[in-house]
Amino acid sequence: MGLAARLLEENQFSTIVLTPTHDFHRAIGIPRSAAIEYPYGRPLGEVDDHEGQRAVLLAALAMLEKTEKPGEVRHLPFTWPETPKEAKWHPPEMSPLVKAYLHEIKQARSR
Amino acid sequence: MKKTDKKVDGFRFLPPGLAAWIQNYIPQEEFSGPIPWTPLAKPLSRTTLALVTTAGISLKKDQPFDMDREKREPTWGDPSFRAIPRETTEAEIDVNHLHINTDYIRQDINVMLPLNRMTEFENEGIIGSLAPTAFSFYGFQWERTEFLTEAIAPMAAKMKTEGVEAVLLTPA
Repeated sequence: MGLAARLLEENQFSTIVLTPTHDFHRAIGIPRSAAIEYPYGRPLGEVDDHEGQRAVLLAALAMLEKTEKPGEVRHLPFTWPETPKEAKWHPPEMSPLVKAYLHEIKQARSR
Repeated sequence: MKKTDKKVDGFRFLPPGLAAWIQNYIPQEEFSGPIPWTPLAKPLSRTTLALVTTAGISLKKDQPFDMDREKREPTWGDPSFRAIPRETTEAEIDVNHLHINTDYIRQDINVMLPLNRMTEFENEGIIGSLAPTAFSFYGFQWERTEFLTEAIAPMAAKMKTEGVEAVLLTPA
């Protein structure tokens, strides 16, 4: 998504990326990142939580309006109400990539 | 918005092995290269915005994102994109993504692509307008960049025709 934001900025669009994994900025240089500690697939918030979604969206848009220099990462103050296990964000089946690299992934944990 | 002390843990929701493995691909030091930059030209209340997500959302009447090839080739991800009209409802969408639970998006598209919330902001004058078309592409692009020419460039061209000035991107 960061590469998409970069290309859009080159095409004269101002961008804001609302993302849990703000760390990718260090790899590719993302123009503006609003970091949100929410599970993958629900960066705006919970299903049918209109007020919660509005609050996150307002925070992201405020950053879009106020950021003055490229590469800023702003950490939004919101907290997800469930533990990672309770959040059930993962796919029903292990992804093809994880399946293919399972051995390396298990080794990475033990390092 | 006032600054807070919260430091977002970008890997909190991942299993530890997968988090450690992904972090192998991310440098520890800050990015030091050039970053393209377009300042917001006017206040948000007069700006036209478009929404873009990587969640693999498509209209039921369109071709879905290709999951079969990814199952055969685990490092390949569909590089195409789909247009999602702003009035689209959950009943009209399909969601295909092999790296997340897509059920929540099917129940409430706003958790990923906040079409209804942005329409509210438009009505309330918080933003100038929401563009007629939102877009989805497929976020899993492992060390590949074809999606930039096959998805992002044509999306940008369509945005220009709709007077878009700013874009909110929501990775899945």
